[in-house]
Amino acid sequence: MVSRGLNFRFALGLLIAILAHPISASEMQRCAVDDTGKKLCISAPAQRVITLSPGATELVFAAGAGDKVMAVVNYSDYPPAALELPLIGSHTRVDMEALLALNPDLVVTWVTGNPPAQVELLQELGVSTFAIEPRTFAGVSSVIERLATLAGTEPEGFAEAERFRVGIAALTQQYAGVEPIPVFYQVWEKPLMTVNNEHLIGKVLKLCGGVNVFGDMQRLIPRISAEVVLQADPDAILTGSVDGVSDDQLDEWKKYAGLAAVEKNNLFFVPASPISRPTPRLLDAIQTVCGKLESARENL
Amino acid sequence: MTRSLLGLGMLALASMAFALALGSVTVSPADLWQVIQGEGSTLHRTLLLDLRLPRTLAAFGTGGLLAVAGALMQVLLRNPLADPYVLGLSGGAAVGALLAMLMGMGTLIISGSAFAGAMLATVLVFGLAHGTGSWTPSRLLLTGVVVAAGWGAVITLMLAITPSYKLPGMLYWLMGDVSYARSPWPAVVVLAVSVVVIMPLARNLNVLARGPMQAAALGVSVRPLEWTIYVLASLLTATAVTTAGSIGFVGLIVPHMLRLILGNDQRIILPASALAGGTLLVLADTLARTMIAPEQLPVGVITALLGVPTFLYLLHRSR
Repeated sequence: MVSRGLNFRFALGLLIAILAHPISASEMQRCAVDDTGKKLCISAPAQRVITLSPGATELVFAAGAGDKVMAVVNYSDYPPAALELPLIGSHTRVDMEALLALNPDLVVTWVTGNPPAQVELLQELGVSTFAIEPRTFAGVSSVIERLATLAGTEPEGFAEAERFRVGIAALTQQYAGVEPIPVFYQVWEKPLMTVNNEHLIGKVLKLCGGVNVFGDMQRLIPRISAEVVLQADPDAILTGSVDGVSDDQLDEWKKYAGLAAVEKNNLFFVPASPISRPTPRLLDAIQTVCGKLESARENL
Repeated sequence: MTRSLLGLGMLALASMAFALALGSVTVSPADLWQVIQGEGSTLHRTLLLDLRLPRTLAAFGTGGLLAVAGALMQVLLRNPLADPYVLGLSGGAAVGALLAMLMGMGTLIISGSAFAGAMLATVLVFGLAHGTGSWTPSRLLLTGVVVAAGWGAVITLMLAITPSYKLPGMLYWLMGDVSYARSPWPAVVVLAVSVVVIMPLARNLNVLARGPMQAAALGVSVRPLEWTIYVLASLLTATAVTTAGSIGFVGLIVPHMLRLILGNDQRIILPASALAGGTLLVLADTLARTMIAPEQLPVGVITALLGVPTFLYLLHRSR
C-alpha cells in the first residue's frame, strides 16, 4: 500500500511535469523493445542492474554499464570484473530473496534460459525485466545499443556496437573469396549433436567459407548419428573446448582413417565460451575458426 | 490418538513459522512482527508476503496432497510400493504440460493442460483396467504401470523432437520445484476439502485394508469404495503435480513412516499424512532455498536426505 501511494504521487508528479514541459517527456523516458517484442520504458537510466545469464552479463558490460551491475548468476566469467560480483543463484534457479533485497531497477533475463514462472513473478512484483537472446550478428549489436539506452551509457554502448558491426563487416569481406570447405561442427559428443545454418555457430562457419554439412537440417541443434557424418565426409571437424585446448572429444573420429578430416589431420578445437555466447567476443571466435579453416585448406 | 494429531499440527505450524523466518535475506524477529502487524519496510513485506508465505503454503499443500494420495493408493492397491505416480498420473500431467509448452502457451494454460493430462491418464487407466472381465487391484496396478511406461515413452519422444530452445522450460517442469508454484490456493483448498470428505470413509478403508472379501462380508460395498478412493487420489495427485511438478518420495515414504509410529488406522493415518507430508515438504523447501544460498537446491534432494534416514531409523526401531 505504501508503495502504491508513492507510485500514485509519482505518477501525478510525472503527469504535471509532462503537461508543464511537453518537450522534456521524451528525455525522461528511456524505452527499448526486448527480444520477446515487449517494450520497456523506464523513467531514469538504470543504476542497479542484475543479469540472469552469463551472456547477459557480458552484454551489459559491453554496453558500458558494467559498473552498474549489482549481481550476476553462476558462470558469469567474462569480463574478469564479473567474477568479483555477488551471485544470486544460477540461471535455472534464481534466489528471489537475494535479488529483491538488492532492489534492482533493471533485471536482464534470458528468453529461453530462465524459468518462466520466476520471470513472471518478478514482473508481478513490479521489477523491470528485459529479456534478451540475440540469434544473429546484427542482433548482438542491436542488443548492446538497447541495453546502453536503458542504462544511459549510449556513448560507450553505441561505440562498442559499431566496433562489432565494423568488425563483422571487415571479416565478412576478408573471407568473402575463400575456397568453400565442407565442415562438421560437433556441439556435443555423446549424444552426437551439431548445428544448422540458422545457429550463430553456423553463421560463423559460413562467414569463414565453411560449408556446414548439416546446415540444411530442420532443427537448430540436430541430434545425428555417426553414420551420417561418415557419409557426409567433411574435410574438417571442429568442436569447442575449454580455452580451445585439445582434449579427447574428437578421438572417436580417429578410428575412421578413411575420413577426409582425419586423413588430412583436420580435427580442430576452438575456445567454447566465445563461440557459444552471442557477445562481441564472437569476433575472436570468428578469427579463430577462420584461422583453423585456413590451415584445413592448406592440409588438403 | 487425537494427541498425536495435535502434536503433528503443532509441528506443522512450527515448520511454517520456521519457513517464514528463514531465507537468504535475514529478517529479524522484530521486523517480522512489524510485517505481521501490517507495517514494516516494503522489502520485508515483499519478502514475507509475496515470496515466503505463498511458497510455504504451496509447499505445505503439495506435500499434504502427495502424502494423502500415497496413503490412499497403498490401501487401494494393497501394495506397500504404491505411490501417487504409480498409475501414470504424473506422466499424463507431464505430457499435457509439455504439449502446451510445445505450442508456446502461457503458464496458466500449461497448468490447465497438465491437470487435463492427469485426468486423462486417470480415465484411461480406469477404462482399461475395467475391461470386460473382473477387476482386481493387481489388474489396476499392472494397467497403470504399463500406461505409465507409455507416458514415459511419449515424454522422451517429445523431448527428442522439441526445438532445443524450448527444452530448458520443459526440463524445469519435469524436475518439479516449489519455486515454480504460481498460486498456493488450489493445493491448500483441495487438501482441506478432501481430508474432510475422506474422514467418514476412513473406517471402511480400515476394513478394506484387510482384504475385499472380509470387507464385503462386513457390509462394505467394495467396488464403489475402491473407485471413490481411486478418483479422489487421482484428483489430489493431479492438483499437486499441477502446482509444483512431479515431486517424488513424499507420497511413498510419509504414509509408511506414520504407520510405523501410529499404527495402520486410516482415521489417524489420513489426516496425519496431510500434516506430516506438508511439514516435510515445508522443511525440505526451506532448507533447499537457504542451505547454500544464493545457490538453490532442488527440493527433491532435501526430501530424500531428510526422509531416508528418518524412515530407516523408524524401520530399524520397529523390529
